[in-house]
Amino acid sequence: MTDYQKELEGTGKDIAGLRDGMGVRPCDPEKATRLAYRLYHRASLTAQFADFQAAEACIDAGIRQFGPQEDLCLLKVTLDFRFHRLDGVKRDLDMVPALRGRFEGRSILADLDFQEGRYPQARTALEDLIREDRSWDNLARLAYFTFKMGGTEEADRLYVEAEDELTAKEMRSYAWVELQRGVLRLSRGCYEDGLAHYRRAGTAYTGHWHTDEHIAEALAAQGRFDEAILLYRNVMERAPRPELQQTLGELYAFIGRTGEAQLWFEQALAGYLESAGRGDVHYYHHLTDFYADVREDGAEAVKWARMDLALRDNFATEAALAWALYRDRQFDAARDAMDRALSPGVRDARLFAQAAAIERAAGCVGDGARHLRMAEEINPRYRDFHVHR
Amino acid sequence: MADHNDPNAVNSIFSDIDHSPADLYDLFGFPSKDTDGGEKVVIALTFASVPEAGVLDSDLLYRILIAAHPRVVWPEHDEFTLDALGRYFDAVKNKYLGELKTAEIRVTIDPAQKATVKFIDFPGGSFSTVVDIGKVLAIPTPDGHSIQAFIGGRDDAFFNDLTGFFRSINYAPQFYHVPHTMTEARELPIPKTLLELDGNDLFNYDPNNPLLGSGVKQNLPPGPWTWKGDKFKKDADGNYRFVYSGVDAQAGKNVNAIILEIPLSFITRSPAANRVVNTWGESWVRKAAHKVESIPDHPVWLEHPWALLESIRFDDELKQYKLVDTDGQPFADAALSERENNRQLGANNFWLGPHFIKRLAHLGWGFGPSISALGLRTSFDHNNSPVSVLKTYASVVEAFPRVKKTLFQGLRLPDDSWNPKGLDIPLRRPFEIFIPNVCAIDMDTTGTWPYGRRLEDQVATRFLALFLDMEAEFNGKKYHIDLLNDQSLWDQAPIVPKTPPNPLTNDVEFLDHFPYLAEPHPQ
Repeated sequence: MTDYQKELEGTGKDIAGLRDGMGVRPCDPEKATRLAYRLYHRASLTAQFADFQAAEACIDAGIRQFGPQEDLCLLKVTLDFRFHRLDGVKRDLDMVPALRGRFEGRSILADLDFQEGRYPQARTALEDLIREDRSWDNLARLAYFTFKMGGTEEADRLYVEAEDELTAKEMRSYAWVELQRGVLRLSRGCYEDGLAHYRRAGTAYTGHWHTDEHIAEALAAQGRFDEAILLYRNVMERAPRPELQQTLGELYAFIGRTGEAQLWFEQALAGYLESAGRGDVHYYHHLTDFYADVREDGAEAVKWARMDLALRDNFATEAALAWALYRDRQFDAARDAMDRALSPGVRDARLFAQAAAIERAAGCVGDGARHLRMAEEINPRYRDFHVHR
Repeated sequence: MADHNDPNAVNSIFSDIDHSPADLYDLFGFPSKDTDGGEKVVIALTFASVPEAGVLDSDLLYRILIAAHPRVVWPEHDEFTLDALGRYFDAVKNKYLGELKTAEIRVTIDPAQKATVKFIDFPGGSFSTVVDIGKVLAIPTPDGHSIQAFIGGRDDAFFNDLTGFFRSINYAPQFYHVPHTMTEARELPIPKTLLELDGNDLFNYDPNNPLLGSGVKQNLPPGPWTWKGDKFKKDADGNYRFVYSGVDAQAGKNVNAIILEIPLSFITRSPAANRVVNTWGESWVRKAAHKVESIPDHPVWLEHPWALLESIRFDDELKQYKLVDTDGQPFADAALSERENNRQLGANNFWLGPHFIKRLAHLGWGFGPSISALGLRTSFDHNNSPVSVLKTYASVVEAFPRVKKTLFQGLRLPDDSWNPKGLDIPLRRPFEIFIPNVCAIDMDTTGTWPYGRRLEDQVATRFLALFLDMEAEFNGKKYHIDLLNDQSLWDQAPIVPKTPPNPLTNDVEFLDHFPYLAEPHPQ
């Protein structure tokens, strides 16, 4: 049995035990909170929407029954954040104003600053939190921030420091940090190094589809397409998520197997639209990406990009809008959007390459050449297969 | 442990935090009565029985640190001042960080439940051996000694009324559902007390809910969680209500333990001079990065019952682990360090000296008036306050005069049995007991607390005795650290229930032979 299977099984037993012990309704908020956390934990492992729904229902029931308990509200905040419901995050925090002052609440607020494009505030908040307590998760947050702003070595140093805070009782978290270190390397075109980190993650915590999905990407980047496809299909059996279906479709398209690609694209799109149809917003950026790059349908891409931007105004959503506008042949507007995306100091090979394409299309050849050089400096292999993370 | 209430990250006080094998409970240490072949010292480190009693976690590393030195006498008999205390803390710090040579016993467990026991930096050298768990073993040393060892599950040797202690400090998570994030809702801002406060509805015993705090919890009412009263609660007969019940909260519970009986001449080359064996325990958990690497044991350890280890760089091993918990003195964490994670410093708690004084004063304002109300004399200067007071101090200078006597008074024992040789051994004083946070085993005594810690010592009650005035008399006899165990005192006191605060004995009898702690309870 893999570590993943063991943890999933253990979590299932915990959930069953808690439910058995509490009858129809939880009799106290501690048990309700524990059950909600366990359900959320299971959902985090499986990433299945139905599991998240079960967790959310339990959280909401707990809040209805016991009032806005801090731990339950913190979990609700976390869940809303995961699904990009930033207005919900703010409402949740307002239910228990004291939460904004808690260490955990302040970490969420730093995330909120980042997601809403308040980068200096996000950095300051994270640095303050780390000064108070060098927790691995805040170190990893700052590492991600630093990575996006181009500080690769510093980001890796922070990730290493985060790993040093983790114990043998937190191997899944350790594996997650190893994956981030691998992502960092892949973004620089260092496939062997990246894959080594992914493999290490797989050794640290065995059997997680999330790790295998990263390994599949690294294999594809190295041109080991058959191995990558095999692994992706295996991952999909365990975690049939639309974004993975799109990735596999893109891989097929990348190697010219367009028929198979279309099958996966159709499944992915159906999944995205089903989610959006339910009123969920977390696939807006995937829909933007899908229409821009898969369908090359600029108008539709712009529609989803603007909806996403209205929820989260940050460099990623601005860049996605820029690329959608480019697909819609609105080159000047695309250039403006990309300028806004890059203005906080983001350094990303893919974005620089997109900026170059937009600038060339807008007639700014010099700027385009400059951004292309910058993309190549960061990752000389940026044209290889990669996942948009 | 005396720090069962420690909200350290691994501590099991919160219901949704799993019990952790890194949660150290108690450190016991006393001279063995078996002196065949020379004096021996017994040291027992107990910790949470996770995954279960008799099965140890292979990601953990336990250390028992040991340093022997001559008995030190407070050099400034006539100068009980804050400056003198500061000089004492500095001297202790220099001693522990500098001149004192500390040896250690390090225990790790492999997945097959074999324990690797390393003896490091003892006068006879360093060596290691691999032993079975759950067995009493004699470990031969390179210099010809024999060490008795037991690693495995036992009965929890700690016996106390944990609920009573929590009631005395208004510790909400024992009684109420307190979200983890609400750190301000742990010790609520209500005076600490030994007698129930009139109108303290949050913590006073409720006959309609008698199990509240003893397994039953309620929803935490909305704040403010304060107390507006001005007197102790009394019943119709004029009796106070004791916050303690005397019931053993640890009855029927198990621990895992590392128990050793070590020849003194193995610990020190000068056993005649170095009469005090200082010891403390630490738990370390393997870092994630090193678990991946699965560093194999040095092959020589597997091939021989013991092997010399001078060539092994132990710091490299320790770097693979993270310090989680420490244990030296009972109540050093629970009552004085306020159980904060960043104060888990073990022996190296020198910088906590000022905090120790302020915290003791804070407790004194709670316990001192309670003691006075019972007609007893307290060591704490509470200005004849008729009731417990909630007071915290920002300044050591302000706190010190209140707590001076509590800090400096010698803790008298009930009789002379602790000093069987009749030597001129001074009474120990609280400031030197808790800083450094070590169990200082005086080999010329029985090792009863505070000259070590014997299994049968009721340390929870002895801790409360710090606040008694040791110069006062009860029934024609000077106060002593077991006075609150005296049933006749409670029979005479205007209080119910008429019981010593904590149980007088463990729920099961200790063994009269190694490993001394009783067999574990059936699970």
